[in-house]
Amino acid sequence: MRRAIVALLVAAAVGSLAWAQVSITVAAGNVGQELALTKAAAQRYMDSHPGVTVNVLDTPDFVQDRLGVYLQVFEAKSSDVDVFQIDVIWPGDLAEHFIDLNQYVPKDVVDQHFPAIVKNNTVDGKLIGLPWFTDAGLLYYRTDLLQKYGFSGPPTTWDELQSMAKTIQDGERAAGNPDFWGFVWQGNAYEGLTCDALEWIKSSNGGTIISPDKVITINNQNAIDAVDRAAGWVGTISPPGVTSFGEEDARNMWQAGNAAFMRNWPYAYSLGNATDSAIQGKFDVSPLPAGPGGQPAATLGGWQLAVSKYSKHPDVAADVAMFLASPAEQKIRAIQGSFNPTVMSLYKDPQVLEAAPFFGSLYDVFINAVARPSTATAPNYNEVSTAFFNAVHDVLTGKENATDAMALLELDLQDITGFATGQP
Amino acid sequence: MSRRRSSLIGRILFWVLVVGILVYLMFPFYWAFISALKTQSELIRTPATLWPDSPTFVNFRSVFSNDRFLRALLNSTIVATSVTALSLVVGSFAGYALGKMRFRGKTPSLYVILAMTMFPQIAVLAGLYAVIRVLGLPPMPSMILSYMIFTLPFTVWVLTSFFRGLPVSLLQAAQVDGATMMQSFRLVLLPLTAPALVTTGLLAFIQAWNEYLFALTFTVINEKARTVPVAIALFTGQVSFQEPFGEIMAAAVVVTIPLVALVLIFQQRIVAGLTAGAVKG
Amino acid sequence: MAQAQRGGSPGARRGRSLLARMEERTALFLLIPSFVILILIAFYPFGSVIWSSFTNARFASGEPTRYVGLDNYRRLLSVTIRELPVQRDASGAVVTKDGVKQYESWVRVLPRQPYRYRAVFEFGLLGKRFVVGAVSSAFVRAIWDTVVFTVIAVLFETILGLVIALTLSSNFPGRGGMRAAMLVPWAVITAVSARIWEWMLQPTRAGLFNTVLSYLGIGDGSINFFGQADLQLPSMIVMDVWKTTPFMALLLLAGLSVIPGELYEAAEVDGASRIRRFFTITLPLLSPTLAVALIFRTLDSLRVFDIFQIVLANQRFSMASYAQYLLIGQRELGMSSAASVVIFVLIFVFAVLYIRTLGVEKE
Repeated sequence: MRRAIVALLVAAAVGSLAWAQVSITVAAGNVGQELALTKAAAQRYMDSHPGVTVNVLDTPDFVQDRLGVYLQVFEAKSSDVDVFQIDVIWPGDLAEHFIDLNQYVPKDVVDQHFPAIVKNNTVDGKLIGLPWFTDAGLLYYRTDLLQKYGFSGPPTTWDELQSMAKTIQDGERAAGNPDFWGFVWQGNAYEGLTCDALEWIKSSNGGTIISPDKVITINNQNAIDAVDRAAGWVGTISPPGVTSFGEEDARNMWQAGNAAFMRNWPYAYSLGNATDSAIQGKFDVSPLPAGPGGQPAATLGGWQLAVSKYSKHPDVAADVAMFLASPAEQKIRAIQGSFNPTVMSLYKDPQVLEAAPFFGSLYDVFINAVARPSTATAPNYNEVSTAFFNAVHDVLTGKENATDAMALLELDLQDITGFATGQP
Repeated sequence: MSRRRSSLIGRILFWVLVVGILVYLMFPFYWAFISALKTQSELIRTPATLWPDSPTFVNFRSVFSNDRFLRALLNSTIVATSVTALSLVVGSFAGYALGKMRFRGKTPSLYVILAMTMFPQIAVLAGLYAVIRVLGLPPMPSMILSYMIFTLPFTVWVLTSFFRGLPVSLLQAAQVDGATMMQSFRLVLLPLTAPALVTTGLLAFIQAWNEYLFALTFTVINEKARTVPVAIALFTGQVSFQEPFGEIMAAAVVVTIPLVALVLIFQQRIVAGLTAGAVKG
Repeated sequence: MAQAQRGGSPGARRGRSLLARMEERTALFLLIPSFVILILIAFYPFGSVIWSSFTNARFASGEPTRYVGLDNYRRLLSVTIRELPVQRDASGAVVTKDGVKQYESWVRVLPRQPYRYRAVFEFGLLGKRFVVGAVSSAFVRAIWDTVVFTVIAVLFETILGLVIALTLSSNFPGRGGMRAAMLVPWAVITAVSARIWEWMLQPTRAGLFNTVLSYLGIGDGSINFFGQADLQLPSMIVMDVWKTTPFMALLLLAGLSVIPGELYEAAEVDGASRIRRFFTITLPLLSPTLAVALIFRTLDSLRVFDIFQIVLANQRFSMASYAQYLLIGQRELGMSSAASVVIFVLIFVFAVLYIRTLGVEKE
């Protein structure tokens, strides 16, 4: 009897010791309810897995700071963080620090997500990140102003957008608003401009800067025309200051009621409909316009979950990541926090659509979203993107003409990547 | 008569200067303050308003209800105070040696100490992070120690310059009276340089208070140790990309006020030190 | 020590040398804490920066690291000047546009091997046109921009700091409040002050400056302070001067306070004017403090980082923000370290210049 009790106690002690040892740390975002949602999800995981403790760390929303912190952790090969929330452009560059999730995640689970994102997260056949939530560029337009100036719907081509923006801008200025502009977007020299310019170029049949099969395609007439067209907006339908605009600068102007059109991510939707917004109920979203003979293109954004190679418990960490990215958890995040799911079926889920009605119209945008060439150019994507947005910025600010800028960019990209050049 | 008039003009000009300086120093802070009081929609309205139409305290309320921010205030106070105390103690030792003693290798020592602060922070960060990990230090001591990289050279140099400016006769007099070098340091030099010590301490305190990059890196996995600049950087809006500008401004105001209060508390000490400085000749 | 002094009777010379030795030992003893801290926190990081500046190391990467000698420095600092040929059409006639001679693009004249050169800027001289090219044109421009930024910003900070310190050193009611107010800009967290200014300088009339300027009839309310090349550096300078003038003023105020009042009284009796008193008494006696303040301000400005990074993104770099971009953006640890060493050397040169010219070393 006594011996049995001792044996039981020992077993319990050993058992609890083994259980208590597994502690998983997730480095995640901290936007609005994001941290609270992730912590609640971690709690649900712990409830069903009593042997695991999941800690959630918040990291800066400023992407460059977040990357800096991650890199310091990787440089130190630290096992302090097990699961990382990574940007859609990082899987390629950071692949060497993460495990291949294909070992742990069944194929049918992977296939629930948008294929474009899964492809983006697959580096040399390894699944680096599990899609968590996504983003894509949208065109915001003022329904009241379109009606006032007799337009029946949002523009489908860039030329149409240009002429509509001009008409509305002239009208609104004549009506007494000197601060009104036609179209606002992200024109500062940063990653946001890469996203915007990729949309102009891709939608004009100008390719994706560098193709997925590693050919530099940027120096083509369609791309040159697309960038030239955008340069023509600066100071005419877009404010001169657009060349130093980020997402928030554009949204601020838009939400103050000082713009007819805006290119932005889905986040601006709920903010624009807030009660103290000047444009509450006066706008809608549509796919971005296209160039001559092109299809609309939206740059893919969003965040993935990846498991550190330096983790002491990669199997448990992968399980946590799989749980957080599961359809059930993504549904909760979509309903409570308006995070765009990466699971396709959720865009047809009545509860999700009730909470976020505009999600329905996003499905097509997401399924056709264009990834930046981050996986093909790894580990040099950041350099590629910097060369690209600097070249475009030079054209926007009139320092260089588009033909020369794209020719120079082609040389730069050859230096950086060593890839061949070609047409899209 | 004309003399009185000219002195009146002088007084008026003087006050114009004072008011001018005050406006120049304060208007961005004023802008931060009223931005914190504005509603989101007024913040982005054109043209900008110089005073909020309907001031709201919602930003201040959300800053004060953020317990992590309050915790960060405490952490920053602990870190900055320790850094200041440590650099003043260590710095005044070194300053005394470098300012008032003769020994070989003085100039090289000054240069070596100055060189500590010549690399950009980003360059030494990775190396420092490695050192901290090897030493196994918790976040707060790591920050205190690593901030020495910029506060120590500063305190050493300023104090050296002030110690050097003191007349040698005072020290000699003390030594004739039988004081050891350390006694003359403690009893003669320190009291005489009180204003310099206070000023240096204040400047070092604020530098430590405002540091961001090291603090962010050393507290990644330890939320409880985060300081104010990190806490503010982690303020976010309701959704991704959105930036709670009003809240950041409210936090800026809330963070700056205690610092200024600190100056007011030290005021007496500074003024006392200043008058002591004026008398001692 | 006191004993040494008394026991020095056998021979004055021997006594002094004993005293000197004691003094030397005390001095070294007093320096120990500083050097312990220095070795603890600076030795390894500095060593690793210098070492990696000679390698092709990548940041946070398992790739093998190779010694590359001065390659990184060559890539960062290679500069060349080439003449731009006049543009000619097929018939060989000079191409003109609005009566202005047109020149070929720099792409045709700058070398491509072993590294490709890019234009930093072009200039005309003696009727010819030249282009300055560099392999890391952004870094070469960053060096130039940072030095210009530093010289102008520090000059303004010094003048304003001196004016404020002199004003505050006189006695007037409300001086205490002024002293507190003076600290406000310095006390505001750097990143936050950059945001405040960014908001005030917005390119629309949601910003203070565009609103006020448009009321005054200057600009149309859409001046692009951060996007227009010729307004970028001035905007940065205005931000930095506001932020750091208090540092200067406070140090100078402390320096002023140790100048004996009798000197001024004597000068006043002699009938010296205010301006004369300033140049003969205040400035010379203030120069050691001024030197230290200048050294630290210059050093900080040459390492300026936050405001460039936050406000200008990748449009334009300071030296330190470029080093940061190389490290985090491109993960080129070797190049970034070399850039940091360049910054270090430049700062050292400035420091030596100040120390020599302002006589800090003199007793």
